[in-house]
Formats: sequence, structure tokens, C-alpha cells
Amino acid sequence: MARTLITVPSTARRDEVIEIRVLIQHPMETGYRRSSEGEMMARNLIRRFTCRFEEDGKAGNGVPVFSAMLYAAVSANPFLTFHARATASGAFVFSWDGDNGFSQSERTGIEVT
Amino acid sequence: MKTGNVANPSRRKFIQGAAATAGSLVVAFNIPFTKDAGAQITTDEINAWVVVKPNDTVIVRIARSEMGQGSLTGLAQLVAEELECDWAKVTTEYPTPGQSLERKRPWGSFGTGGSQGIRGSQDYVRKGGAIARMMLVQAAADEWKVPVAECTVDKGIVSHATSKRSTSYGKVAAAAAKLTPPTDVKLKDPKEWKLAGKRLARLDTVDKTTGAQIYGMDLKLPGMLNAAVIDCPVFGGKVKNVDDAAALKMPGVKRVLRVGESAVVVVADTWWRAKTALDAVKIEWDEGPNAKASSAAFAEVLKAGLDAKDAVVGASIGDAPAALAGAVRKIEAVYSYPHQNHVCMETMNATVRYTPERCEVWVATQNGEAAHAATAEASGLAPNKCEVFKLHLGGGFGRRGATDYIRQAVAIAKQMPGIPVKMIWSREEDMAQGRFHPVTQCKLVAGLDDKGEITALHMRISGQSILAGLAPQSIRDGKDPVVFQGLNITGAETAIGYSFPNLLVDHAMRNPHVPPGFWRGVNLNQNAIYLESFIDEIAAATKQDPLALRRKLMSKHPKHLAVLEAVASRVGWDKPAPKGIFRGLAQTMGFGSYVAACAEISISGDGVLKIHRIVAATDCGHAVNPQQIEAQVEGSFVYGLSAALYQECTVKDGRIEQTNFHNYPSMRLADMPAVETIVMPSGGFWGGVGEPTIAVAAPAVLNAIFAATGKRIRDLPLKNHSLKA
Amino acid sequence: MQSRRTFVKAGVGIAVSVLVQPSAVLAQSDSLAAVVREYAGTALLREGRVKINIAPLVDNGNSVPIEVTVESPMTVADHVVGIALFNEKNPQRDVAQFTLGPHAGRARVATRIRLATTQKLVAVAKMSDGTCWTHAVDVLVTLAACIEE
Repeated sequence: MARTLITVPSTARRDEVIEIRVLIQHPMETGYRRSSEGEMMARNLIRRFTCRFEEDGKAGNGVPVFSAMLYAAVSANPFLTFHARATASGAFVFSWDGDNGFSQSERTGIEVT
Repeated sequence: MKTGNVANPSRRKFIQGAAATAGSLVVAFNIPFTKDAGAQITTDEINAWVVVKPNDTVIVRIARSEMGQGSLTGLAQLVAEELECDWAKVTTEYPTPGQSLERKRPWGSFGTGGSQGIRGSQDYVRKGGAIARMMLVQAAADEWKVPVAECTVDKGIVSHATSKRSTSYGKVAAAAAKLTPPTDVKLKDPKEWKLAGKRLARLDTVDKTTGAQIYGMDLKLPGMLNAAVIDCPVFGGKVKNVDDAAALKMPGVKRVLRVGESAVVVVADTWWRAKTALDAVKIEWDEGPNAKASSAAFAEVLKAGLDAKDAVVGASIGDAPAALAGAVRKIEAVYSYPHQNHVCMETMNATVRYTPERCEVWVATQNGEAAHAATAEASGLAPNKCEVFKLHLGGGFGRRGATDYIRQAVAIAKQMPGIPVKMIWSREEDMAQGRFHPVTQCKLVAGLDDKGEITALHMRISGQSILAGLAPQSIRDGKDPVVFQGLNITGAETAIGYSFPNLLVDHAMRNPHVPPGFWRGVNLNQNAIYLESFIDEIAAATKQDPLALRRKLMSKHPKHLAVLEAVASRVGWDKPAPKGIFRGLAQTMGFGSYVAACAEISISGDGVLKIHRIVAATDCGHAVNPQQIEAQVEGSFVYGLSAALYQECTVKDGRIEQTNFHNYPSMRLADMPAVETIVMPSGGFWGGVGEPTIAVAAPAVLNAIFAATGKRIRDLPLKNHSLKA
Repeated sequence: MQSRRTFVKAGVGIAVSVLVQPSAVLAQSDSLAAVVREYAGTALLREGRVKINIAPLVDNGNSVPIEVTVESPMTVADHVVGIALFNEKNPQRDVAQFTLGPHAGRARVATRIRLATTQKLVAVAKMSDGTCWTHAVDVLVTLAACIEE
């Protein structure tokens, strides 16, 4: 499990637009470099990030808020800042997927009044 | 004549209290931080390049950094040539990178490296001077109400022959400044040059000899504190524990700080007190993953790379491996070249004053814009809230193109807001925290036919890539093109001077943990050692004279051959040398110029080497200041011969072993040979001067040593070898 | 002709916004124009509404903060559908592609990117009404001075 740093306000007013910041530890190896032993370092990137919102009491996958397709030009330990409209209490679900079967998910709750 | 000189403000009382954060936008060399300078200078600006004062003084703006290489004077000559002003009235000033950013970079790049100072700037600085001249003459013509075509100008005096009127630049400057700059500019043919191309004395020599010259390390600001720093001597290591109790009690000590995860800093009223207290701080290091690294271990990895199947191709003609497989005879040799430190006489330093509103840096840097960007990044402030004031460099050689020490100084000052802090590295710190010339080995294999002619050459370079260390994102397909300096098949920047029917030059990248950097001459240094020594090995093996063999191989490379012939002719290669004197030749092409050298040496019965004489030739296309070119060539032999004779940086237990000039010596006056330089610009291109000749220093001496002893030396420095018969 | 007086403004207190100089939308490099066109599809590319915020000069290029903002009410009726970021001189043109919607609330995204050398960056914003807006900036990477020259 890679270390993540997620910043979401724990509470918000209805319809307030909040800022969300996420960081995940990952080398974002471009596939263009060689190691100190001269071997090509294989590409190892996080390819996709998604943020969905699951409202309390509602079934289903939640609502897509923001997603990103990332490429080799994104720096190591990919950092993203984006926004979401707070509509109801619930949880933001963050997922990262990438090369070599990388897949990780985190959840952060929010109370909306 | 007045030179650009940063004066000590506390002597001149220029600082008007602590609120001197305004920072003048146009920085006069001798008052970099006073509020007044801006207003007084800008009214006289003709264009970004030229300021003319009412008293006819001309100030030429220089964006590149003077680091002893003479570009300050050379660039001023080029501007003054087109400007047609009085050279005796010329002085220079450095615009700041902040001004450059605000004005959308009218001066172009501030980067001083790659022997680019003159050749990278000459076109637009000359145009800047020409445009200013046209505006000044136009202003005079307008005042006289005569056609501008009837006016002439010489040494800053504009004349109208018909009406017998004349005026000086100073009198028409204000009017000229209001004119629209012309866009159609014709530059002089270098054949018409009166100032450029002349052996003019440098603008900064006098101050250097009287001690008036201020370098970064000399700067004193009111209220300034001093910082001594130690970073983990093992690259990649961190601070585990710090006990600063004793240090905090020592006289003059203000703070003990940390920078990042690996550096400890003491700030005190004087640098000596800061350094003494730093020595009293007990630091426990977590030496990290490289704690056991050693040059011996690197050498094993590099050696394996010499035969690795996987390598990146830099140059290829025909099919060298196949030709070698079928060769009648093969000659093979393995060479190596160690890590090197720049050892600038002035160690790394920077003075920074940080507040949350503004960050100002006073620093000797080879790249004002990089320093500006690094300051913004390290301070967290936008570039328009930062400024860098460039000071004279006590040596650059590529080390001061890096911004690590600037970031470190900013990080220190950020912890002491409002106070100017001067951070200086001790020599030991400078030796440990270098940005080192990369370590490499090279295996050369030549195939010969039954007549002893070369049918193929394979050069396999195994070793460190500078770009992989500094800017991995610039490497494409695993190739670092800089590795192949001097060995490209063609190119205006660097190209091999020999024709081979089959050639393969490839690189097995192997990156030790030692941080790499651009060292004067960069990879042209070892590539010239490898190839020039090996050509001599082939000559010896086939019983040919080294010059005769080269002439055969260079018949299609007339410019490479011309400098070699010039050297051979001057030294009298075809006549025997005096008894006991032995000669060696070398040639290469890099940084746009063709260079060659011959070394004359003797070796005593005890194996003591004496280099008597160096004859060197440079074809740099155009020569702006031949005296300065000679000085640069001489200087590059000081640098190159110091390395060849004495210098290597070795790693043991993860750290650099060499700590000061006792174990990393430099040439002394007694060692240094006379250097005769043949400056032979052939025209039609602009080549660099600062670096190319360093590359022929070592190989010329190595080839001479072979001539003297029959010993082939394939690794440096020479102090590791006995030359006893 | 640029006024000689305009730059005589001392640092403190003068809000000189020295951001990058916007440049023409379709950059020199063919492949950059091609990927921009591919993303935009058949929509006309217009300059405006989207803005890249990035330091005009950068020391190394390994981790450069960048922010892209699009003027949009972000309602169901009128919102940003996607933002794409492209570069001119890295080994690959794509930097990132973001998908937004009315739930995003505000069309502002920030991340950190790698820049191999001094080059152009182009942001393209796709709107719910099918229009496409672009902004291009130049970033100077000072390390490149040692390598390129």
C-alpha cells in the first residue's frame, strides 16, 4: 500500500465548493531511464485517478466528481488539487490505478449541513 | 577606465536602513542594492544594451557571467565595435534576472557555460550596439535637420562634414532614447573590425590586481550574519541526531539550524565563529543506502559495462563489430578517467535576505536566471518577488551553473527572516559536496588489415551520465548525447577528426551515486584522452609516426588537420627534439572549435616528469580578443594538466576522500610549462574558447611520456604511476 | 516601442504580474498541434476562458507546479467537461487529461509536472456546449542552458 496524503474538509455547507488535495507516493517511472547498473527501468506509472462521491444512505457506485488520466510527464508522487460541490453528507472515494496491476483506494467522509 | 566593481557598502554607507527592499531595477555594478541607482541610469538607456551618460560614458549591459574567462570584456568589445563609441569610456553592468523577466528577456540567456559566452551572444549583442548607434546618429541628424546618410561617427563623435558640425553621443543620448529602434540592421564584416579582434586589455584586470574586486565571498551587508554548513558527506544520507548544546554556548553563535533532511547549519556573527561552533556540533548521520559505496566497487561495475551487450549507440559507420571479427590483427586497450572536483578558488557561497514579501540573493553564479528560478522555488515566492544580484566569480568552471548552494542559502535565510545571511562553504565542504566530473572507463578495439591499415574502431564507453543525474527527464531512449562529445561523426558543435571505414562508439550507462556536474571541458576531456592515446598506440603498433598516421586519417577533416599541422610546424615535429626532450601530440574538436597541442617533456632518471613546453593551436572561427584567447588556452592547460598530474576524487565508505589541496593538489608555478598559443581563426563560424583546449592537455603529455619511456599510461592521475625507467 | 519608463518600478508594492507570455495556440511542433486537434475533435479552438498558471522560469524541470483554471459556472447546463494538458518537447506530448462535471463545482486543477526543457505548454478545455478553449504558455527551464547550448 502506497502512502497517501489526502486533504478534504471534514465538514461543509450545502452547495459549498470545497478544495480537495491528494498525494500518493509513487515513482512515476517514465520508462526512459536506466538504472545505475545500466538496465532500462521499465515504465511504472499511475495511469488513472478517480474521485467519486457516495452519498450516505444511497446505494450504488456514487457519483463521479473528478478523474484524471496521468502520463509520464506527471512528477513522481503525483499530487492533484481539484474541487467538489458539497451536496450531502457522505464519503469521497479516491482510486488510483496503474502499471503492474497497481490499484489502491481510499475513502474520506464529509458531513454536509 | 572604470570597471564594474561591487563596492563594500558599509564603507560607502549606501544602505538606507533596513527597508532597502525596493532593489533598483537597473543595477550599477558598484551599488547593487541602493534605491537611487535605478532612477539615475534608466533615463540614459538607448536600448536594453547600451546606456550613454551625458558625459559620454557608455555602459554596456552584459547578461552572461564573468568568471575569469574574459567574456565581460569580449562582449563589451563586440557591442562597442558596432556602437562606434570611444572604448576608453566604456564600462559594463549586469542587468538582473528580475529585470530580464519583467522586460521579457531582452538580453537573452544569462547562462554562461558550454563555452557559449561569446559565440552564443555575438549576433544579438552586436545588433544591440548597431541599433543604438543608428539611433544616436539619427538623433544628431534630426537635431541638425540633415539626412542621416550624410553623417559619420567615430569614437562617439557624430559629424556632418558638409556643415562642419559635430556632437558627441552624450549630448544626443536623451533625444536618441526617444526614437523608435530600427529593425533593419546590418552588422560589420569582421574584416572591418577596429575594436573587436584586437588585443585589448581587459576591463576588470586592474581591480583584480589591486584587490578592489569584490567576489561573492567578500560581500558585507549591514546587520549580516554568517552561516557555516555541513551536509551529509555520504550522498543520500540524512541527519539522525544532532547535539548542539556545546555549540549554542559558543561566542557569537545565534542559531543552529537544519536544512532539508541532511544539512546542519550554524549561524553566527562571524563565519569563523560559525565554523568553529559547527565543528563542535555532534552530528550522528544515517548514512543511507550508499554508505558502503567505493570507487573500487564503481570500477568493477564500469568494467563489466565494457563488455555488456546492451549499449546506446552514439556514432556508427558501417559495421564495426563484423569488421573487427574478421580483422587480420586487433589492437585493444582499456582506459579510465576518475571523478573530478571543480576546486574553484572561491568556495561556494551566497548571501540571502528573505522576508515573506521578497527574497534577495547576492551570489556568484554562472546563470542568473537559474539562480532566480532556484530562489523562487526555494523561497516559495513568485519570481517577481525575488531578485538575484550577480557578483564576480572566483572561478566557475561549471560548478556555479548548479543552484544547489543557492537553494541551501535561501533555506537558511528563510529561517531568519529579515536578516541577511551569508553562507560560505569551507574548502572541505566544497570538496565533499561537489558536482563531480563523471567517472568512466573506455575499451578501444581497432582492427587492422594485412597492410596495417585501420579497418574498424570500436569505442565502448562505460560510465556515468551527467544528464541522468541532473535532469533525467531530458534523457530519451536511454541516450545521453553529451557522453559522446568529440566523437560524433559530424556536427558543428563537436565532431571526430578521423575517417574510419567502420566505426562504432557506444555507451553503457552506469551511474554511481556521486552527483555529477559539468566540469570544464566536460566529456571532451576523457574522450580526447581515450582516442588520442589510442591513435598513438596504433601508430606504435604499426611503426608509424603519430603525425603521419593522423595525416592519413584526417585527410577528409581539413580544419582538424590544420590546427594539428600548425602545432607540429611550430614545434618542429619533423626535426629531432633536443636530447632528453620528448614530444606528444593530440587534437580534438569540441564546443565548436578545433584544437591541437604538442607537449615537450623530459623525465629524470628518478622518474620525475617535467613538462617544458606546450604549443597549442585553436581555430575558433572568429577571434574577438586574441590576448584573452591566449589567456584562456593557458588557463585551460593549468586546469587540464593539474588534473592529469595530480587530481582524482575517490570514494570510500560512501564519501569523497579528497578534502583539501594537500590531497587534491593543483599545478604550482614551478610545474607549469610555457604555453605558446597559435590563434588561427579561419572565419565562417563561431567556436568556443573557454573549454576546448583543456581536452588536449592530458593526451599530449601522455603521448609524450610514451615517447620518452615506452610506457603507456591508461589511467590518471599521473601521480599514481612511477615513470622510473 | 516599449516605453523606457515602464520598467522603472521598484519591487515593493507594485503588482507587476509577471506570468508567462501567452503565445499562439498552435505551436511550431506538428505533433503538438496534432494532439490538440485530436482532443478537440471537430470543435473550433478558441483562445480564452482557460488559463495556465505556472512559473515563467524554472530551474530544473523535474517537479514544476502547474494550475489550470477555466471560467465556468459549473452548472448542469454549463460546465467544463474536460481539460487536457499537452507539452511541446517532452518525449511524449500528453501531460494529463482531466474529466470534470457539474459535481466538480469549480474548474480549477493543479498538479506537478516534468519539463524536459524550455518549451510550450497548451491547455485545452472542453465545454458542455461543445466549444473548445485553449491557452498556451512558454516556460523557460534554465537547466536546459547547459544542455542545449
